[in-house]
Amino acid sequence: MNDPYSVLGVSPQATDEEVKKAYRDLARKYHPDNYHDNPLADLASEKMKEINEAYDTITKSREQGSAAGGGYSYGYGGSAYQAQNAGQQQSAGRNQYIQIRNLINANNLTQAMAMLNAIGSHDAEWYYLMGSIYWRKGWMDQAGQYFRTAASMDPTNIEYRNAVQYMNQGGQAYRPTGGMDMMGGDMACNMCQNLICADCCCEMMGGNLIPCIGCR
Amino acid sequence: MYGYVRPVKGELKIREFELFRGVYCGLCHELARRYGFASRFFVNYDFTFLAMILAGQSGAETCPRRCVAHPIRPVRCLGSCSSLSMAADMTVVLGWWKLSDSADDAAGAKALGWKVLRRAMKGAYKKAAARQPAFAGAVEENLTALRALEAARCPSVDETADKFALILRSIAQGEPDGSRRRILEELFYHLGRIIYILDAADDLAEDVKSGAYNPLRYRFEPAEGKLSPEDERTLRTGLQLSHNALAGAWTLLDENPYSGILSNTIYLGLPATTQAVFAGTWREPARLHRERSYL
Repeated sequence: MNDPYSVLGVSPQATDEEVKKAYRDLARKYHPDNYHDNPLADLASEKMKEINEAYDTITKSREQGSAAGGGYSYGYGGSAYQAQNAGQQQSAGRNQYIQIRNLINANNLTQAMAMLNAIGSHDAEWYYLMGSIYWRKGWMDQAGQYFRTAASMDPTNIEYRNAVQYMNQGGQAYRPTGGMDMMGGDMACNMCQNLICADCCCEMMGGNLIPCIGCR
Repeated sequence: MYGYVRPVKGELKIREFELFRGVYCGLCHELARRYGFASRFFVNYDFTFLAMILAGQSGAETCPRRCVAHPIRPVRCLGSCSSLSMAADMTVVLGWWKLSDSADDAAGAKALGWKVLRRAMKGAYKKAAARQPAFAGAVEENLTALRALEAARCPSVDETADKFALILRSIAQGEPDGSRRRILEELFYHLGRIIYILDAADDLAEDVKSGAYNPLRYRFEPAEGKLSPEDERTLRTGLQLSHNALAGAWTLLDENPYSGILSNTIYLGLPATTQAVFAGTWREPARLHRERSYL
């Protein structure tokens, strides 16, 4: 393992406060919520793990044996698909849809697209998965159109609705203090919105974002 | 290229500004060194950005140099290095295609002027394409595909932007480190998308007037060359999502001597450019709304 201090970018002489601040800043950067369904999510989570380990090592060595709390425990359930998948499939093509979801998760978009195109009848799930493929490809405009169709065909489905909402509010990414966004809106305002939204999302999956920043 | 990718000057540290100017001037000198004086006209901010992002961890050497634009006080320029040479090669390849496009699209005396220029730069292009065959191949392939989409009046912004995005993405293909290549590919892809969409938004009114193809005309059917507020929101949300993806990739890259300038460009420059394009002030004279020239 690398030197934990250089992972956090602080000197070994840094105070506990400085270490904690460096850790928090980095965790905010590489937080899984910033890599929602992102092709680089694995690299970000590697980074997050590295930072968590470094912080743990430092706090443990400083507290000399007293049980140090682990890093952020976000309880984020990995890919959104696995977390929300169960029990929401509709009748026909269920197995196929599960297969396609797995292909999308494995970033095998060409095959997922081919399988989806081979399905004759297009229900809400079909449109949703098509949207997911375009999202992964980075074709944001098309993804939005498919997500909106899925949500209007099945307005009761939370997953479809969340996807539309997530897109409409402009998604989420790390931006340093003072950074601007592309919507021309007030960044500070958007950040609060995103934070609250991310918190709701975490809570749904058993974690809690806002208090976990506050308490550490 | 287009010049959309640039830092917000007022937010740069003076040290960063001098470094930035050194890379820009360095790229210009590198162009002249490799491709002759005329190729200097291809120098642009977008490839200055690329040269900085592709640069290694350690800073290259700088040396003071004079040129036509700075005849009396020399500028401390970045010396020749591999990322600068690569950026120069790619500047010439893409610049020549853009020139070639203008020559085909223009009419009358203007067309003749472009054609003379195209003929004059042909040798430089051939040399650059031979040095960067993979990139030149990607440019030719995707621009040909883009032309076909344009001829078919493609109504998808994503599909047309994809072609330009793939050109930028191909810049990363020579990167030996697998993770770094993936990060750069994602970053360049979305940068390409943003540039293409901004350019389409910027040209919309003009294209509607002249009847030229513009994907936004067929995607949104704007009245009198202006997007409705709702359509503009949809388009900017798409830009925002691409910007998120770009920012996510950027965060994962290791720092280098230009990270401050690059961060400024990504987090402030691109949003400021977007704001100006949609406000319709991007093309107005610099003294009114923005600092057009740094150097």
